[in-house]
Amino acid sequence: MYDVAIIGGGIAGFFAAIKAGEKGLNVTLVDKAYAGKSGASAFAGMGYMVYNPEWGLDRDAFLKEMYIKGDYLNNREWAEIILKDSLTTYRDLVSWGVEFPIENVNNTPNDEYFLPFGVVRIKRRQPMPILRKQAIKAGVKIIDRTMVTDLLKQDGKVVGAIGFPITSYDLQIFKAKATVLCTGYNSFKPSGAEIASLTGDGDAMAYRVGTEITGKEFPDTGNYGMTPYTSWRGGRGSRAVFRYYTLPEGGRVQVGDEQDLSLEFVVHAGKGPILWDLDAATPQDIERMRKRQQSSDPMESERIGFDPGQGGKIPIAGGGAAGAPTAQTAGIWPMNTQCSSSVPGLYVAGECCGTRYIGAYHPAPGFGLTGSAVTGLRAGFGAVEYALHQKKPKLDNKVLESLKTTLYEPANRKSGFSPRWVTQILQNTMIPYFILHIKHENRLKAALTIVEFIRKNLVPKLTAKDSHELRLAHETKNMALNAEMILRASLFRTESRGQHYREDFPRRDDPSWLVWTKVHDKGGAMTVTKEPIPEEWWPDLSKPYEERYPKRFPGE
Amino acid sequence: MVIERIDEELCNGCEICVNNCTMDVIRMDEKSKKPVIKYPEDCICCACCELDCPEEAIYVSPERSSPVLVAW
Repeated sequence: MYDVAIIGGGIAGFFAAIKAGEKGLNVTLVDKAYAGKSGASAFAGMGYMVYNPEWGLDRDAFLKEMYIKGDYLNNREWAEIILKDSLTTYRDLVSWGVEFPIENVNNTPNDEYFLPFGVVRIKRRQPMPILRKQAIKAGVKIIDRTMVTDLLKQDGKVVGAIGFPITSYDLQIFKAKATVLCTGYNSFKPSGAEIASLTGDGDAMAYRVGTEITGKEFPDTGNYGMTPYTSWRGGRGSRAVFRYYTLPEGGRVQVGDEQDLSLEFVVHAGKGPILWDLDAATPQDIERMRKRQQSSDPMESERIGFDPGQGGKIPIAGGGAAGAPTAQTAGIWPMNTQCSSSVPGLYVAGECCGTRYIGAYHPAPGFGLTGSAVTGLRAGFGAVEYALHQKKPKLDNKVLESLKTTLYEPANRKSGFSPRWVTQILQNTMIPYFILHIKHENRLKAALTIVEFIRKNLVPKLTAKDSHELRLAHETKNMALNAEMILRASLFRTESRGQHYREDFPRRDDPSWLVWTKVHDKGGAMTVTKEPIPEEWWPDLSKPYEERYPKRFPGE
Repeated sequence: MVIERIDEELCNGCEICVNNCTMDVIRMDEKSKKPVIKYPEDCICCACCELDCPEEAIYVSPERSSPVLVAW
């Protein structure tokens, strides 16, 4: 029996755990791998967003630029909160021993390359193990290698979760007064990318207990593969990389903004594959590429000895994130700034919390990581406050038995479909650029037909030969649910905005689509609704479209 | 392809590689108290096992378990 159960051991989970633990409550943190080495945070290497006025950063310019880049889909209340709390979390991290290398002429930690945004460099793979130590110090009981499959909901409240250790079939019940989901986003296990353990488990579990999920139509175009074959987008040095993206027939690829869809458009026109022409690179640019690689992908250079100075024409793949959403724009809808969901007892933080603070587009590196830390901190406090006023929950056996049956079904099934095969079909259906990035009603509907079939006919017959495969089966089931949410939200938003591009609706449509989407379960059917953005947060509609939106989409 | 070998002679059984693997590819063998590559098909080539191995007993090949399709 716990006061607070936290699911997921990335930066959000640790912040929630440390804050709740420091209040003296009985806190556990459960992770399906090893907390501190698990999820996207473990591999974060691009930066950490911090707003600190003492570094000469201009708050108004920062926010204004973020809203313009975000195509006015930003939740400004959250934007202001995360900016304010970014400094609190930064100071916490510094005090715990996390290092932020300083590398600029002004001798302030923020990298002037990203102005007006405040982004500090971090050391890849360093912060999370430090946070783990800090959580243990705060008295948090860490439970590793345990897959949580479902939330326990009774009498309208979430009272914990159930799961199993991935090394055995033992049932694990986590009774808790408050539960915090910090499970990250979803991708579809793209080949060779380090985000393959992010399968949208939190979004799926929360959906099943009746919460609303927002922003699923906004995909990430960033690179996550530690490989020269995945396009290098984002971060200092990206420009030097882009200069050598060339076409097989000759000529340079015109890359627009760092996270836009220009590479996908080239390929869509049949002009690919895009070749990274390292033979043509100048020594200065090779040096810039090396710096970028060292800051974001040092493991790759160390391990396979890839060096931008090696020459050659390297074909690159786009959409390395393959399903991952725009940071914190997709996720479970937080009801307030303490990160409670619409179901009492359930709190959400990190990438599975849809604060929508950056809007429809990634402004710069580090925004996901900081948003995750801040919501972790807030959900931690929120969960503590809630738990202090709750009695010990008594578990209803009927609820437990039904979830237990669901948990073990794949292991008990003698015949059916392997999770790896179903995952492969999901990948083939969802990852192609013409589904996830360059969308059209016809293709989205075709993909939805397949995904509905998968959910109706394959998922209920998933098999698992052992506890490792039981984890895969539950991940596959969750990915399939996330896939349907992505497709339905994408079909619903009949306009283009930020990282959501509809070939059949290539313009932003104000004010009809100055709204956030919400996906939820209605009597067993998935429905999508609109949530209006407050008018004071809209762009100035008296200005012509081209002035409101400096960035053009093809075909608009 | 993927994680190819763990050198049993060099391995000190510290279990760092098991904890570093977010995909549950490596498991400890109860009897030998040494790690074994149990689910190589789920390896994502992150190489966290290799990079943190204090005895340099692990080799991860950059070849993926399924190919990266570069032309989409």
